[in-house]
Amino acid sequence: MGEGPVSLSLRGISKRFGQVKAVDGIDLSVGQDEFLSLLGPSGSGKTTLLRIIAGLELPDRGTVVVGGQDVTRQPPYRRKIGMVFQNFLLFPHKTVAENIIFPLRMQRASREECVERLGWALNLLKLKGLEARYPNQLSGGQQQRVSLARGLISRPTLLLLDEPLANLDRELRAEMEVEIRRYQKELRIPFIYVTHNQEEALTMSDRIAVMRNGVFEQIAPRVEVYQKPATAFVASFVGQSNHLLGKVMQCAAGQLVIDWKGRELTVPCNETLGAGEAVRFMIKHEDVQLRAMGRASRDQAAFNRLKGKLRDIIFKGQTANFILEIDNGCELIASGSLRDTDVRAGDSVLVEWPQTAGVCFRDKP
Amino acid sequence: MTTYGAVSGVEYRKWLMAVALGLLYIFLYAPIAYVIYASFSEDIVWPFPPSLTLQAYANVFNDSLYGDALINSLKIGVGSGVLSTLIATAAVIGLLRYPSRYRTALFIVFLSPLFVAELLIGISSLAFNARILGLSGNIFSAIAANAVEGVAFSFLIILSQLVRYDWQMDDAAMVFGAKPLRCFWEVTLPTIWPSVFGAFLISFILAFNNLEISFYNLGAIPTLPSVAWGSLRFGLGPELFAIAAMTNALVFTIFALMYVLMRTGIVKFGYRGT
Repeated sequence: MGEGPVSLSLRGISKRFGQVKAVDGIDLSVGQDEFLSLLGPSGSGKTTLLRIIAGLELPDRGTVVVGGQDVTRQPPYRRKIGMVFQNFLLFPHKTVAENIIFPLRMQRASREECVERLGWALNLLKLKGLEARYPNQLSGGQQQRVSLARGLISRPTLLLLDEPLANLDRELRAEMEVEIRRYQKELRIPFIYVTHNQEEALTMSDRIAVMRNGVFEQIAPRVEVYQKPATAFVASFVGQSNHLLGKVMQCAAGQLVIDWKGRELTVPCNETLGAGEAVRFMIKHEDVQLRAMGRASRDQAAFNRLKGKLRDIIFKGQTANFILEIDNGCELIASGSLRDTDVRAGDSVLVEWPQTAGVCFRDKP
Repeated sequence: MTTYGAVSGVEYRKWLMAVALGLLYIFLYAPIAYVIYASFSEDIVWPFPPSLTLQAYANVFNDSLYGDALINSLKIGVGSGVLSTLIATAAVIGLLRYPSRYRTALFIVFLSPLFVAELLIGISSLAFNARILGLSGNIFSAIAANAVEGVAFSFLIILSQLVRYDWQMDDAAMVFGAKPLRCFWEVTLPTIWPSVFGAFLISFILAFNNLEISFYNLGAIPTLPSVAWGSLRFGLGPELFAIAAMTNALVFTIFALMYVLMRTGIVKFGYRGT
């Protein structure tokens, strides 16, 4: 939870479309200067939730409180919320300046205020000199900036962003990620950012709410979502993990011993499990280490160790993925810097990771 | 250099095309050119050699029948054009924005006047107005009856542009504080106005030119088509030539004006896509 007063609170929001529960009993509070991401695959209900906050959909049940006011039954034009859309949705027949001041005009702001705020927005978003252009004369990145300027110009109590970077190319996206977070920190307006892209969510957010089938699987600070996923779904959706399917051998003192295709592993215990239960152990690629055979090893007890062969190295630039064939016939992926290792494809290697790393959940069929 | 035969083959084909095109243009425009020419002639039965006069135009302007007919036709055209466009725009927006399982049936209801003969629309609206409502024919019932057909055409024209309209644009406008009506004026209409304008023009022309529907609803009140049709019984009068020439001149002037406006960029007829 962010510090300061609460800007948005949702209580028991539910919405059905026919037989499908798009949003199923969501509770959420967003603080005054918080950047919250709603992360989930398509169809998880995140866009519906955003549209309910904006007033573009009515919830079947629950209340929406914005800036201390119950706006559940208020139409969108009374909510004073800003929004940035995936396909920009700039008005094609209006110039950049006309697009940006549209929210102010709708609020019947004075001419002087429009001019002053327009100057502020053009300055903030580096759009000077483009005022008289039409949206179809702008690049994708410029259109997105105009869209942001329009969302921010009337000092909204809340800014909603619906996958705003999905239509931009990779380089521009990375640049905008940093900028959008900077605007949020400077303006101290809460941003609610919908995305299916975990990198975007991790880069920008203070907190991330991971959504699936209309409910939050986890809502926590970004590092916690990454390092301590609350469910198997979060663990597989955020970050890149190896999935190891095994059976519980014993469960004691916060640790599990599992049998993974004839290899014994000690892993952290995240829920109470009985012996013999099928489990899915997930470990992030970067947590798996490899060393050439025969190198000095560390404290035996605290690590899982497996023998294997390095089959291939997939070079990715900053890091590389090491494809490992474990001697029980299974495959694991480790990722790390090429600089730190001198192994080659075909070498026999020792694969290891701390017994405290990774998460283990009951494997639901 | 190719052989003489091959060159002449290509040339021959080119000439053939040019002649065909020339004949097509003559076929299309010669009657119109003839009518305009004849309207200025003293003898309209055989206007050669040319001896020019403005007598036909003087007759048209002196005879109040033609003036009344023109005014009535304009009233019917504008009234029916406005009515058709309003109903069709509302209908298209309603059908596209609010999904219904009866959508297909509703589409058919709006388009079905296209498959009914104008004569039938005229007779049935006369019968309904006179027998059921007890109303005698007047210019308002003529406007309404013409709008039956106008709505169907306008519906098609506006639909063809609105199906491509992104309704999220309205969502955006509403989030930024525009009430539904404001939203229509500020965002929807400026985007779709070429089709709305087109629908108005078509339904105007349909009603302006219509003989059957108007005739049954108006009876003795003259419109241009009914006067022209009536005077045919006494042979082709020079006044008809003058009216035809003036109508052509009006249409030509409107298109010339639109062309100039477009070329100079004062008005943009078209959608500014993103």
